Amino acid sequence: MKFSSTGYLIKEGFKNIWSNRMMSLASVVVLVSCLLITGAASLISLNVSTLISTIGEDNEITVYLKYELSDIDSMKVGPQIQKIDNVSACEYYSKDAAIKEYEEKLGPIYDSMQGDDNPLVNAYKVQLNDLSEYKTTVKQIKKINGVESVSDRSDIARKLTKLNYFVTLVGSWVVLILGIVTLFIISNTIKMTMYSRRYEISIMKSVGATNAFIRIPFVIEAMIIGLLSGLISSGLIIALYNPIRDSAAGIVPLIGQSALTVEQIWLNTLLMMSGVGVLIGIVGGFISISKYLKGGK
Amino acid sequence: MIHLENVSKIYPNGTEALKNISIDIENGEFVFIVGSSGAGKSTFLKLLMREEKATFGKIKVNGHDLMKIKKRRIPYLRRTMGIVFQDFRLISKMNIYDNVAFAMRVVGTPEKAIKKRVRYVLELVGLKGKEKRKPNEISGGEQQRVALARALVNQPEIIIADEPTGNIDPERSYEIMKMLVEINKRGTTVIVVTHEHDLVEEFGGRVLHINDGEITEDKFVKTKYHEAPISLNDSELEFDFGDDQTAAENDTNKEEAEEE
Repeated sequence: MKFSSTGYLIKEGFKNIWSNRMMSLASVVVLVSCLLITGAASLISLNVSTLISTIGEDNEITVYLKYELSDIDSMKVGPQIQKIDNVSACEYYSKDAAIKEYEEKLGPIYDSMQGDDNPLVNAYKVQLNDLSEYKTTVKQIKKINGVESVSDRSDIARKLTKLNYFVTLVGSWVVLILGIVTLFIISNTIKMTMYSRRYEISIMKSVGATNAFIRIPFVIEAMIIGLLSGLISSGLIIALYNPIRDSAAGIVPLIGQSALTVEQIWLNTLLMMSGVGVLIGIVGGFISISKYLKGGK
Repeated sequence: MIHLENVSKIYPNGTEALKNISIDIENGEFVFIVGSSGAGKSTFLKLLMREEKATFGKIKVNGHDLMKIKKRRIPYLRRTMGIVFQDFRLISKMNIYDNVAFAMRVVGTPEKAIKKRVRYVLELVGLKGKEKRKPNEISGGEQQRVALARALVNQPEIIIADEPTGNIDPERSYEIMKMLVEINKRGTTVIVVTHEHDLVEEFGGRVLHINDGEITEDKFVKTKYHEAPISLNDSELEFDFGDDQTAAENDTNKEEAEEE
């Protein structure tokens, strides 16, 4: 194939799209659906990972004191905690302050729990220097007299890690299966286009067209369908991302703090999805036309 | 130019379409291939175009050994021949100009050269001024002339016409045949497959009868168009295609050289 044919072949690829517009449209619609699910699965997985690392970075633990401990005795625990090497800061958090915070957040239902009826316990909010020393530090804190328990955020982190693993696993399968589906759809479209143009292909062959010359317009057609689908689906994801993120943050406030913003994801989403669309187009188109030409005379 | 030696073709279903055929067709010959349907005429053409591969024997066409030719080289073999089909095989969505230009685009000729050459060939077949029309807007005879123009446009060494007059009325058939004779007079080998004996009697030349997969007769029919069998000197005549044609041919040769 010659360089002088390139312009003609690209033009033919665009013409093919228009000639088979209904088939092209149907392919774009199905591909957009697949890419939307794939993109959503990837973004969910990415956000769960971010959430986990946010929790990991937050190295504050809460030390709960025994219920029967008086305020004065409770105040004495603080300096002992402070003495531990891995503790960088230690702030007293009284049960009165805690009930007030609950009241502010949840309304006056805690009115009857003021003063001596307060069911909460005094506590310390403790900042750690090194999170990897977490277990040793917790052991040391628990040995201090008057300490009842230590809040453990690692539980949430562990759960989220499991969730992330699950989301990644499911996401990977979704991406793989939908990848195959999209490949199948695009190669089927090209196969049908070729079938409808088999007469033309036979004429091309009879006048001495090489396989490369016959193949290129079809691959370009598939590439354009893939690119178009990638652009539309990434556009939809970018447009819908913030409303979905806000709704999720309304249910789980932590998501609001840790989830990626649309500004952080739009460019990568656009590039990735368009790239995947084009790649699937090229591979799908190439496979089907090569199969067809291999079978022909 | 065309050399067949002990060629047989047996299809996978067991049909023996050609049986031990040996034949030579020289440059510049005008050959009719006649025979009833199912005699093996189409298989003979398919072997020449390498649409099918012979089961046994040796075939050489325009320097290509068709028993050894690689699949990727087949397009280059086909560029040395122009094919005219009974059903014209024009692309309906393309206008006449593009239908002819298409054959040159396939071989990568620059657009400027295509423009010049296509106009010249369309004028040659009497279709000047009809470039913009679609195939369904012209008559059957004109459609066959477009097919002829397409076959001629790359200046092939051989023109193979498979029942070129099968779908057109007798008057137009004579026109097409006269054009083929004219093309032949200018040096191009012409092979016409037909079952119309009137045309054979009228135009003459070398006549090969194929019957039940065998060549049963190989004779020369003398007419006003073909007075004597071709001699080697006659076959060296060249069809004047103009300067741009030479450029197109050179391009094709160059591409083949690049490929190699």
